[in-house]
Amino acid sequence: MNRPDTTFEKIAWPIGFGLAVLVLWEIVVRGFGVSPAILPAPTAIAAAIRENPGTLWEDWVQTVLKGAVNGLWMGTLAALVVALIIDRFDFLKRGLLPVANFFAALPIVGLAPIMVMWFGFDWHSKAAVVAVMVFFPMLVNILGGLAAVDPMQRDLMRTYAASHAQTLQKLRGPAALPFLFNGLKIATSLALIGAIVAEYFGSPIRGMGFRITTEMGRLATDMVWAEIVVSAVTGTALYGLVAGIEKRVTFWHPSQRG
Amino acid sequence: MKNLTAILTVVAALVVLWYGAAIKMNSTWTYDQAERAGTQVTFSELISDTMSQSRPLLPAPHQIVTELWKTTVEKKITSKRSMIYQGSITLKTTLLGFALGIVLGVASATIIVLSRIGRLTLMPWAIISQTIPIVALAPIIVVLSNAAGTGTLMVPKAIIAAYLSFYPVLVSMVKGLSSPDAMQLDLLRTYGASQSNVFWKLRLPSSMPYFFASLKVSVAAAFVGAVVAELSTSAIAGLGARMLIGSQFGEPMIMWAALFAAAILAAILIFLVGTFERIARQLMGGRTA
Amino acid sequence: MKKLLTSAAALAAMATGAFAADDVTLQLKWVTQAQFAGYYVALEKGFYEAEDLNVTIKPGGPDVAPVQVLLGGGADVMVDWMPSALAARENGAPVVNIAQPYKSSGMMLTCLKESGITGPEDFPGKTLGVWFYGNEYPFLSWMGKLGIATDGSDGGVTVLKQGFNVDPLLQKQAACISTMTYNEYWQVIDAGISADDLITFKYEDQGVATLEDGLYVLEDNLGDAAFKDKMVRFVKASMEGWKYAEANPTEAAEIVLEYDETGAQTMKHQERMMTEVAKLTAGSNGALDVADYERTVSSLLSGGSDPVITKEPEGAYTLEITDAALN
Repeated sequence: MNRPDTTFEKIAWPIGFGLAVLVLWEIVVRGFGVSPAILPAPTAIAAAIRENPGTLWEDWVQTVLKGAVNGLWMGTLAALVVALIIDRFDFLKRGLLPVANFFAALPIVGLAPIMVMWFGFDWHSKAAVVAVMVFFPMLVNILGGLAAVDPMQRDLMRTYAASHAQTLQKLRGPAALPFLFNGLKIATSLALIGAIVAEYFGSPIRGMGFRITTEMGRLATDMVWAEIVVSAVTGTALYGLVAGIEKRVTFWHPSQRG
Repeated sequence: MKNLTAILTVVAALVVLWYGAAIKMNSTWTYDQAERAGTQVTFSELISDTMSQSRPLLPAPHQIVTELWKTTVEKKITSKRSMIYQGSITLKTTLLGFALGIVLGVASATIIVLSRIGRLTLMPWAIISQTIPIVALAPIIVVLSNAAGTGTLMVPKAIIAAYLSFYPVLVSMVKGLSSPDAMQLDLLRTYGASQSNVFWKLRLPSSMPYFFASLKVSVAAAFVGAVVAELSTSAIAGLGARMLIGSQFGEPMIMWAALFAAAILAAILIFLVGTFERIARQLMGGRTA
Repeated sequence: MKKLLTSAAALAAMATGAFAADDVTLQLKWVTQAQFAGYYVALEKGFYEAEDLNVTIKPGGPDVAPVQVLLGGGADVMVDWMPSALAARENGAPVVNIAQPYKSSGMMLTCLKESGITGPEDFPGKTLGVWFYGNEYPFLSWMGKLGIATDGSDGGVTVLKQGFNVDPLLQKQAACISTMTYNEYWQVIDAGISADDLITFKYEDQGVATLEDGLYVLEDNLGDAAFKDKMVRFVKASMEGWKYAEANPTEAAEIVLEYDETGAQTMKHQERMMTEVAKLTAGSNGALDVADYERTVSSLLSGGSDPVITKEPEGAYTLEITDAALN
């Protein structure tokens, strides 16, 4: 019971579980003769991925690289800048933080049709939805991070006669990093949701959201699932990327030790 | 009190900004229409027109407030045009999804904490599940539940809401159920307590603060899930559906009013769950953090 | 006591009599609106009841593919456009047309005059808004016929997936958008653009019209005599509803409004829609005109490099139901 997990176990169990689900799925679809228009077999999905790498790549570039990634960095950067400004003015902090907290809990995806109206059909409107969606959680997390230094440490910096910028750079910035990464982990999955939903409300004739709705209308569910697989892999990879960077950058933090 | 002034100042600044943006954004249409009619627009005409278009790019705040008033206070709540009626449908989906999410979250957290194999198998998939954009799955969930014979959209919508809301509960419960330290566990072992005794008498009680803390995040997630579900499953009722319908029938005011109604409902929900959390903590003798 | 028993028996007989009405579920292609007035009128006026049918009407929406609902067993019969029904048939969903209440197509491409478009020859290089989700086929086959590329290559048109509203035209994000004579076109007019500022291309006039709202069922079900009988009665009552709606557009619009669950429809809009729809249904008694069918098929087959359907469909329609219903 208290034996530590080996790396092999850490990999083998989840993958084994995933494979078991796939096999069961295949058996159910074939055994009960489920119509491919309702649920395609995993092998059919794999075939769709093999046969359409060009389309999937084009959609991926449109939705992930252009829509989600652009929106992600814009939203994060904006949150960072606003957080640093707010942080200097106590009045703003007290006024904006509750408002930002409120916005962070809102279903901002509802803005998607409005953004399409404002920024047109191409990836710009998708990036705008993503930017707004990630802005508030990022802002709240960064502000939380900047406040995460205890008074003793601040006092220490003051005894060193450190300026605001120096305190920020040497103490509060690093201390805020774990919070920043926490926000980024939330933001990456929000970014994908935002980019895909926005395409439901109008898009050029490429993109993952476009393909999902269109192929669904054509009953080509194998292609729909192919897009889902791509989005799942992308989401997991982005999360893994953020977690990986976090590990390297915040190696000193208690949560990363042990 | 000082906080309140700060908040009000910020909100007031936002409203002023909003009015400015509304004039700027809606002016294109005013100018286009004037050009089609071959007339000139004076500044005061521009202001009054941009404040009162029936399909503005960005409606002025008072237009939204008027629309909200018309669709809540002035309509019977049984009317399908009432935002309260539509909101109650979204609320029902949210609560159903929330309940489903709690059950799912607590159950899988229990498996993860009690069984090593369960933890190795389920934990990575729980994380992966949240990186899959649920909206991509929405049409599939609708088709599958249709094929499974659930006549209404309620079930698929609640599943989507639950999909988003179970994760915060799961993470907190895993933390909470494993919060008793080795000393406490050893103590119970010296009492000769069985596995189930340890679970019911030690693990579960000590997980409660974590559980309540997760509820606020979870209910917000369920609400977002419900709205997203209504947006992406062709629901015909609910606030998400109103947004979609407003967009489709060229009635942007409906869309904006629904958006604001959703904001208000979300705020109420989060406030209620927050209050519940505080009361529960006090009853359990915890500190208000 | 005996009297009580007999009356109880009579009651039971009545109850089973009421239960014996056959259940039929109809899946619409779109939300509740006058486009489907005939079915709502038949329901409200008791035409279905008179045929001993217990009909449920399920509205559709932007992300509902009626075929999937049919396949999943969520409905017995659906309203769909022939291009998407035939495409679904080729993709392994065996649907069959049993009746065709719409004779003519209401689909158009509506353009702003200021975009400089005067005829189809001006399309290349312009941005056109198109509905997807199974509604893109008539457009694709028209462009195929004109020899205009739709994949974004040079000399072709830029295609946008437009939402189901007219904003792209109003915001000048597209030179032309798809509209229906009975719906979106009027949204453009209502938004304040006069008809003189618009130029429209009706699919009917361009010779690329495809059959719209028809009734489709699953092929397997047609082997069942009881189901067939049910459909005969359903089609008969539905056509009765359509003819009543054509003759009484105001009443029909009121009935539709009564059933609208979204609460977003207005009387003005629905009455106008009913008047326009009546023009499209007037030419049909419910029976599919085989010549129309063949024109639709050949237009779909001739879609240039990327035809909507690749081979002549077989058994995609049956006249049996309407023959029995209308004679």
